[in-house]
Order: sequence, then C-alpha cells, then structure tokens
Amino acid sequence: MKYYPTIGIECHVQLSTKTKLFSEVDNDARGKEPNSCVSPVCYALPGMLPRLNGEAIKYAIRAGRAMNCEINAQSRFDRKHYFYPDSPKGYQITQFYHPIIGAGYVELPSGTKIRIEHAHLEGDAGKLTHFDNYSLVDLNRVDTPLIEIVSMPDIHSAKDAHDYCKELWRLMRYAKVTYGDLYNGNMRFDVNVSLAPEGSDKLGTRAEVKNLNSFRSVERAVEYEIARQTKILEAGEKVVQETRGWSDATGKTTGQRSKEEAKDYRYMPEPDLPPINLSRQFINDESAKLSMMPSDYREKFGQTIPTDILEILLDYPELMETMNGIDEKHVTMIANLFTSVLLAEEKSAEYLNDLPDTKKLNDLAEMNEKKELSSTATKEVFLSLFDPQMKGRDTKTIAKELGLIQENDLGALEAIVDAVLKKPETKKAQDDFRNGEEKVIGFLVGQVMKESKGKANPSAVQQILRDKLK
Amino acid sequence: MEVNCETIKHLAQLSNFSMSDKQAEKLTGDLKNIINYISELDKLDTDGIEPTYQVFEMENVWRDDEILPQDADREQLLALTKEEKDHQIKVPKVL
Repeated sequence: MKYYPTIGIECHVQLSTKTKLFSEVDNDARGKEPNSCVSPVCYALPGMLPRLNGEAIKYAIRAGRAMNCEINAQSRFDRKHYFYPDSPKGYQITQFYHPIIGAGYVELPSGTKIRIEHAHLEGDAGKLTHFDNYSLVDLNRVDTPLIEIVSMPDIHSAKDAHDYCKELWRLMRYAKVTYGDLYNGNMRFDVNVSLAPEGSDKLGTRAEVKNLNSFRSVERAVEYEIARQTKILEAGEKVVQETRGWSDATGKTTGQRSKEEAKDYRYMPEPDLPPINLSRQFINDESAKLSMMPSDYREKFGQTIPTDILEILLDYPELMETMNGIDEKHVTMIANLFTSVLLAEEKSAEYLNDLPDTKKLNDLAEMNEKKELSSTATKEVFLSLFDPQMKGRDTKTIAKELGLIQENDLGALEAIVDAVLKKPETKKAQDDFRNGEEKVIGFLVGQVMKESKGKANPSAVQQILRDKLK
Repeated sequence: MEVNCETIKHLAQLSNFSMSDKQAEKLTGDLKNIINYISELDKLDTDGIEPTYQVFEMENVWRDDEILPQDADREQLLALTKEEKDHQIKVPKVL
C-alpha cells in the first residue's frame, strides 16, 4: 500500500523588540552574561504585574500581514500552566482563546500555498543547561516576545516542509520583526508528521518532532519520520502518538518519554492583562509599514533575473531593496555581481551591513556596458565599492584610481597599435597574418595590450589591427 | 464537576507539590464544599452571555518599548534563589 504524508508545522519566532514582552528590561541578551537581562516580572516575584509591550503588538500586525493573515481587532492573553524550572511563573502567558493573528497563507517559491491556521503572541521560557547531577537556569530569555505560527496540515513532502520554513524565515525578516538568526534559536520549528493510506480522507496518527532550528534538519527529520512510519505501517503495526527529539548527528528521531499529565495545561484568562482592542486605523497604519515581500519581488524580477539567482538574492532583504533602485537594463548584471562576487566574498556579511548606493552600482554597470571596464575590471571595481576605505568616492574615481579604465579612444589606441607595429619583433607576425595565418592576430593584440598596460579594449584593438594589416 | 482524591493528587503532581493521603483527603472535602457552593450559579441561564474576562473594563493598556531601570538587579534577584552557580540558578537535575 502507498502512504501519503501530511505535515503541519508550528514555528516560534523571537521578536527583536528592544524590551521584553512584559517588562521594560533589555530583550537583546546576545553576548550578555546569564541572568543579566531580567526583571522581577521575569522572576515572578510575588506582587509583580506584567506590563505589555505595545511594540510587540505592532510587530505581530506586521508579521501577520506578511503571511496574508487577518488581524483580529480583539485579542486576549491566557495562562498556560506547567511546572518546569525554565518558567518561574509556573505558567506561560500566551493567547490560547483569542489570538491576535487569524487565518492566512504563505506562498512557496513553487507556487504552492500553505494555509496559516492562526498565530499568537506569547512569552518565551528561560534556558536550561544540564549537567551530570544538576541543571543551571538562565532567565535572560524569559518573556522574550514570541509569535507562534501554526500552519494547516497542507504540507505533503519533506521539500515543501523545508521551503515553508525558509519562506517563513524570509517573510519575518522582510517584515523586520526578528533578527532571524537560526543558529541562536531566533526561529524554532515543531513538525507534526502523519501517514495515511493514499486516497484515505482520514489522517493517520501523528508524531511530533520538536525544537528543530534549521531548514535542513526540518527536511531531514520529515524524511526520517516518513520512512520510519511507513515501515511501522507496512509491518501492520501502529504509530504511537508522541513527541520525538531529533539528532543532527545521528540523523534520527527518538521517542521522548513524556508523562501523560504533561498535556494538562489548565488554561485560564490572564487576569493581569486587559484585552487588546485595535482600531481599523491602528491595524492599517502598521500594515502600511510593510515594504515589498518576496512574492512582490518574484513578480517584479521574475522575467529579468534567472530563478536560481533570484531565490538566492531573496535570502537578503537588503540586497533586494537595493535591486529596486537598479536601472532595468542593468538588473541582470548587478544581480549576477551580487551572487557570484559579493556573496562569495569572505567579508560579505560585513559588506551587507553597508551597501553602496544604487547610483554607484548603476554607474558601474554603465561603464561596463560602454566597455570602459572589462568584465574582470568590473568585478574589481564592484568589490571596491564595498571597501570602507573607498566609501566617499564615486565609481569612476575608484576605477581611475585602480587604473582599470579601458582605453576606448580610437585615436589613442591607433597610436599604440602603430607603435607596436613599428617594433621589429612584430614584423614576422605581421607578415604571417598577411599570408593568411589568422591566429597570430592574438599575439599582436597581446602586444598592444601589454603596451597599453592592460587598459586597451581588446576587441577595439583587434579591429584596428585588422584594418591596418589589410 | 466530580472532585475526588485522585483529582487533588493529579493537581498536586502538576504543580510539583508533595502531598500525603491525609492532606489530600482533607483538601478533597474542602474543595467539594467550595465547588458545591459555587454550583449555585449553574442554576442561572447564561446562554448567549459574553463571558466575563475581567471586571475593570480596561483595554489596550500597554507601554512604550523603552528599557528602564528595574527595581531589582541581578545580584539581588539571584540572592533570592536557594543555590546559585556561575550567575545561574542551580536546580536539581531535570530531563
């Protein structure tokens, strides 16, 4: 029997607001000491009151709109109770009954649409580090604002699972709501996988793989689960509904024994936080701050930039924004320079923080088109545009300083050609060419290039030589 | 709602409380009485009435996204924990 996989994904996105969701304490704990970004609210001291960060609401609106979701005017917070040392409150403040973000969809590069069930705001938990006979708790991450995005079970392959997670990552960065640093857990994925006989209208029993933090591990975990569950079903056995952990090292998921009671969260409305009731105007104002999304760029550049190059560029919102200012006739060339030169550069991450303005890039493309710069020289000048020491200078000045401008002035070129033809060592080559030995033209062009210190435009030189040797 | 010793023990376990059978029995009786008392409300017809989430009728209470000094610093907060190590809170091994 053939089995058809169905996959649903929950994604947690850490928001990059300045302060935490429920107190005015630093939300950016990168490179900071453990427990240095904490407040009495994070510690859940008796009498503490959570104070909602209004910016997180705005971030949620942008994130929701980036996924084509309805924004719910009315939303509320609830308490989700569980006992674990990563949460001094003994509960997580989340939005269980009335989430701020309603239904929507994410369109994958392939055109497949994955529906979003809803997304909600909640506070993150602390971080535990486990040792042999004790664990250490760092509360820096407590109450970092999160958006949990819940997809509909619309995903049916490991590749689509990968593409969906990657597209979410892009959307959240284009919406400017997260640093999107996967390595540091800014986005984490929980993946539900179930298998049903092909053609069946009922879903099979699902297993959930928790806490994946790369697109690749999402893809591999789904592949593994499909294979594991197929084997179980083919043997006539039953898949157990459970939470499983993934190991990148072994490439396997393993069952995590969890107590049955763990699912009993005893949700209740959060009495310390009044409900949110947003006006249409407030929602519209925030939505209007969204700039172009990946799908808009695909529409705009789909005909000019080859798909594989465009999909690489789309990982870098800052590059796409720059592409918007490139003259249409130069778009392909600049896109190529970005992917094949800039991104291949060791310092590319640094360079991406401070891109040259579009005029300099347009000038560069223009010079290349006019053959003032060879293709090698174009790449060199292009990289120099990112060099902090070259910053204040325009493209032409940089090209001149590097001595890379090609000699196109026909008069000047002719003079150089004449000088070369007068040299006795070129005499034989000239005779050979006149006698029909076509390939010696290369030698002569080379001599002229040498004489011009590489600045002559080779095709112009060849034309002049041919005219003169007739 | 049925309240028995099992319910109480289940709740205690969820909250990581240790509880003797005797304590559980006493609490079962107390809680039964309380729920019985509140159950009077079940006689009212609440169909079509919006649940009361809070009684102050406030909404949209939020603050600006600006870092402010807190009432307690790291050392003061860590001093409240039973045991600390490397500026972290030391707890019995979990997992």
